[in-house]
Amino acid sequence: MEKYIQPFVDVCENVFKEFIGSELVAERPHFADKNDAHDWDVSAIIGLTGEARGAVVISMKQDLAFKLTGILTGNEHKTLDDEVVDAIGEIINIIAGNAKRGLEESFRLVISLPTIVRGKGHSIGWPNEQARIICIPFKIFDTDTFCLSVAIEAASGV
Amino acid sequence: MSTRTVLVVDDSRIMRNIVKNTFASMNIPCEFLEAGNGKEALAQLETKKIDLILLDWNMPELSGLDFLKKVRAMDEHKDLPIIMVTSEAARYNVIEALKNGATDYIIKPVNEKTFQEKLSKITI
Repeated sequence: MEKYIQPFVDVCENVFKEFIGSELVAERPHFADKNDAHDWDVSAIIGLTGEARGAVVISMKQDLAFKLTGILTGNEHKTLDDEVVDAIGEIINIIAGNAKRGLEESFRLVISLPTIVRGKGHSIGWPNEQARIICIPFKIFDTDTFCLSVAIEAASGV
Repeated sequence: MSTRTVLVVDDSRIMRNIVKNTFASMNIPCEFLEAGNGKEALAQLETKKIDLILLDWNMPELSGLDFLKKVRAMDEHKDLPIIMVTSEAARYNVIEALKNGATDYIIKPVNEKTFQEKLSKITI
């Protein structure tokens, strides 16, 4: 499954550079368990179906969500309001959609609309029990971090 | 050049603003209309004369692809310029959209250079 992760890393770096105007530093990926505790404030989730099943999730603290939304809207944000939800949803949408190009030799994928989950320590229900979740931490703006988590496996019969 | 009416269809209000701002920076006189999904876009099409549609793919209610198929089935809109503006970057998605009548295809994130290049190929 790990070989399918690189397109997401490459795309994430490119999307932040082109869309947000900021460089990222990818940190060491690690396997995550769906029950691992975390202290992220918001996650945006896109489901993956078609010839593979899984999900791709971006998780971050709310201050980073506010900063990113502010870059896209030119407005200041202090709560996880509809514009912040829109911005983070669009970021994960662009990451997932662009990653399809790097995976097209392996799978034909369908991506879902984004779902946003708000709340400290929220939990995410991953769609497939067997697929391992890989978490790639990224550093941005020198002091902020977020995590891109991916779980993907070929659908049975493919 | 007379003012053109451009319909921007995307479920993200932020993306609609980014698309409009990118387009507007090219100094083409435009009036922008907006729709949050394909169903709203069809309603706009029924009541306004539109010169160009900038169309997202993944939207609730009615997707961009399904909107495209419906519009191309209408004789009066078979030549209406419709440019997909979408995150769907896989080649099979690009081919599917072009086969169903998209005039051209832009992969998000958008930029002015790509818009200029695409618009230079069509007449609106």
